[in-house]
Amino acid sequence: MGIGMTFAAYVAASVLFILSLGGLSNQESAKRAIWYGIVGMAIAVVATWFADGVGNRVLILLCIAAGAYAGHYIAGRVQMTEMPQLVAALHSFVGLAAVFIGLNADLMLSAVTAMKEAGIAMGDAELTGYGKALWHKDAVEISILKVEVFLGIFIGAITFTGSVIAFGKLSGKVDGNSKQLPGGHMLNAAGLAVCLLLGLMYLGGSGLWTMVLVVLVAGFIGWHLIMGIGGADMPVVVSMLNSYSGWAAAAIGFTLGNDLLIVTGALVGSSGAILSYIMCKAMNRKFVSVILGGFGGSNGPQMEVEGEQVAIEADGVAAALNDADSVVIIPGYGMAVAQAQQAVSELTRKLRANGKTVRFAIHPVAGRLPGHMNVLLAEAKVPYDIVLEMDEINDDFPETDVAIVIGSNDIVNPAAQDDPNSPIAGMPVLECWKSKQVFVSKRGQGTGYSGIENPLFFKENTRMFYGDAKASLDKLIPMID
Amino acid sequence: MKIGTPKETFAGESRVAMTPDSARLLQKLGHECVLETGAGKAAGFSDVAYKDVGVEIVKTGAALFKASDVVAKVRPPTDTEVKRLRKGQTLISFFYPGANEELMGKVADKGATVIAMDMVPRISRAQKMDALSSMANIAGYRAVIEAGNNFGRFFTGQVTAAGKVPPAKVLVVGAGVAGLAAIGTATSLGAITYAFDVRPEVAEQVESMGAEFVYLEFDASELPDGADTGGYAAPSTPEFQAKQLAKFRELAPDIDIVITTALIPNRAAPILWTKDMVEAMKPGSVIVDLAAERGGNCELTVMDEKIVTDNGVTIVGYTDFPSRMATQSSTLYSNNIRHMMDDLTPENDGVINHDMEDDVIRGATIAHAKEVTFPPPPPKIQAIAAKPQAKVKEKTPEEILAEETAAFKAATVSQVKILVVGAVVMFAIGAYAPASFMQHFVVFVLSCFIGFQVIWNVSHALHTPLMAVTNAISGIIIIGALLQVGSGNWLVIILSAISIFIASINIVGGFMVTRRMLAMFQKS
Repeated sequence: MGIGMTFAAYVAASVLFILSLGGLSNQESAKRAIWYGIVGMAIAVVATWFADGVGNRVLILLCIAAGAYAGHYIAGRVQMTEMPQLVAALHSFVGLAAVFIGLNADLMLSAVTAMKEAGIAMGDAELTGYGKALWHKDAVEISILKVEVFLGIFIGAITFTGSVIAFGKLSGKVDGNSKQLPGGHMLNAAGLAVCLLLGLMYLGGSGLWTMVLVVLVAGFIGWHLIMGIGGADMPVVVSMLNSYSGWAAAAIGFTLGNDLLIVTGALVGSSGAILSYIMCKAMNRKFVSVILGGFGGSNGPQMEVEGEQVAIEADGVAAALNDADSVVIIPGYGMAVAQAQQAVSELTRKLRANGKTVRFAIHPVAGRLPGHMNVLLAEAKVPYDIVLEMDEINDDFPETDVAIVIGSNDIVNPAAQDDPNSPIAGMPVLECWKSKQVFVSKRGQGTGYSGIENPLFFKENTRMFYGDAKASLDKLIPMID
Repeated sequence: MKIGTPKETFAGESRVAMTPDSARLLQKLGHECVLETGAGKAAGFSDVAYKDVGVEIVKTGAALFKASDVVAKVRPPTDTEVKRLRKGQTLISFFYPGANEELMGKVADKGATVIAMDMVPRISRAQKMDALSSMANIAGYRAVIEAGNNFGRFFTGQVTAAGKVPPAKVLVVGAGVAGLAAIGTATSLGAITYAFDVRPEVAEQVESMGAEFVYLEFDASELPDGADTGGYAAPSTPEFQAKQLAKFRELAPDIDIVITTALIPNRAAPILWTKDMVEAMKPGSVIVDLAAERGGNCELTVMDEKIVTDNGVTIVGYTDFPSRMATQSSTLYSNNIRHMMDDLTPENDGVINHDMEDDVIRGATIAHAKEVTFPPPPPKIQAIAAKPQAKVKEKTPEEILAEETAAFKAATVSQVKILVVGAVVMFAIGAYAPASFMQHFVVFVLSCFIGFQVIWNVSHALHTPLMAVTNAISGIIIIGALLQVGSGNWLVIILSAISIFIASINIVGGFMVTRRMLAMFQKS
């Protein structure tokens, strides 16, 4: 296939990718948009496979078949509660591929340079399409290429190890608490400096070993950086890694001079960046302070919480729900942990069958992944038009009879508004305490991930419904009539 | 521990301190329950109902006192009952220690611990055992019903075929617990309700119950702050009282029903409805005086009696409103007692831990270990009643407009700054980089731009599918590996082959899982 045809295919693929992301603006168009993405990808891969200067075509088919089988297997089996770790794992693949391709680019570059120096004519050397492109580069272009190779490898390696750790933390294989080696961020800074130094040496012609070292050091930075970030900040981390995987792809696109890679990488990179921004905004925190771990500055003692947590049994909750007209449910990570989404859905169905208005309030950072709660509720067949965002529902709480908080904590903490000294002061929260009655389903007393006391639990209109979320709801559901 | 409830001996008292329901819950705390036969009869609970939940029934009061470790009753103990008390026994009842000092001395001598339900401190935590409030609530409700019983007209206004009926006008004086309950009952019966209280901060509560608050023209800053007195009204100044009476005098001819609930702890009730006001009222009007026990808010009130004045105004001075609704009041009172026992048995193991460090328990205990422990020290936590908040000034439309313009200007400035900086960076790169790089760079910048525009429109609910789909399309990195795999170098081939393999996992896995997720989103 001629170069013109390949380019035409790449343009088509780029347009389809943009359409497939744009289609996610609502649930119905998204179902169509996903096909744009799939077709775009198919066009891109097939066009490249047929392109001039691509060799080992049989090997390519074998690898794609094996990868497709593995991908199919994983995607078919994954539980919706495991989405965060799956997403993290897929990020790590992109990072690893970027590292390999970057190393390859350097290997091929040195091979081509060697041939040029040996005085072999271009026609005599059996070159791939990419090899030919390398042959034509002048000195400045080669320097730029080396910078691109360095960037691709550096970002790729950070993405790889960072995503592996994020995967470990999200799947519970690595302790979720923030942990750092002595030296903390100085160690990361030192690593960065070493990488830059190695990059400069590489530019000076020091050969492949510098890049291999960059892989190791950048890998260490990625590992250490994500180890230092606590479980509650995972939505930001995953979006950030999403962004990095995009930038790594874009950097590789520059290395290879491939516009499709650049376009796609830029799309993915900006998508992840925007998601990180939205998550940080929802927690009222600076991106840097999330990445560097720990909470932002607290400038004084926190307010004392007065009162006591009053417990309630399932029959009390059921009585209140039977009397209520409007109910708002606020799910959090605890619902996902307890696998309670089916029970929540069943409760919703029963309440709605009795003519009550039931809605869900989703905070942007609920769960461990942006939009995590929406997916879990959708899986449990909760209709998406009763699942609302924070801004859509916050004004409705004063008219709500019963608010049920299931496994969330910081996102319903009134201290964010009342206590300027609270570590989460200024964070937008769901104002569920304004409803007439609040029930909090929680495993036991004590603070959540962030360790911040929640005055909501001590409010007069709050009752604590202790116990595992799923078990509590299962007890509650038969009592609704 | 054994908790026992005797029959109330006070004449006309129908309430009982334990109901079958509360007995069941007390047993859950690990206690056993005993009842004197017939104790619940007047309140509508038969011995059989108690037996069914496992309460032991004893024949006489003496036997009951002997059998139980804790005696829970309603009225303060009589002399006979005090004699029956023994060392180490706990008595829970209303006691009014301020007025019953002699009795208090006697029970202390006996060595019994006495918890006075009327001394429970008014803090949020103790609301569930605040028997005064639960009884006041009933009294407020019953006061309106009693007034309706003696009032010859409808509460609600009606236009019927037979003629027009004006709505009744009700004035509630004192918007405490009883007052608010009375307001709620009167408004729900359809009366036009007015309410007055010396604490202007309760106006909001009054209005929330559907009544109109009667304001006096008075400088609020001169008033005592209700929050300092545990939520009760404080005695008012003579000038204030004069204004208040003038206002009532003005209202009196119009009002059909007056319900007075003004009481200040440990004082005689203030006279708020004088003889001349009663005389100014229309015949057939009704006054219900909930303060009758302390002399009454109305000058003409006779305690425990209903009188009719010469001009046909009925004045009800009953003091036993809760007892007149014995089933309801027993249910609430027994729940108050049960909550108190809950706090006394923190381990739910039937063992009482009388913790004198606890504000609530200390406050309510008036005799312990042969000592009179009344009055209690002030509670460690100061109580309730939010301070009146300084009102946020409303912004004028001009100010809002000015703010918006300023915000718009700031946004413009920052955008222009970003564009200028961006342009400078572009030129700097363009000045040094070769053309082949710039071509790709243009593509890159435009793609970022498109990416930002597109992603902002993605619905929040679809952020997880967005991440999965971007995962899938970032598998496009496979193209790079495809272009390299034809190389002659075996290392390059192996690395590219691995890259193709894992990128394919990404592509197929990412798209499939996105499809799975999107298929789940369903409209109702």
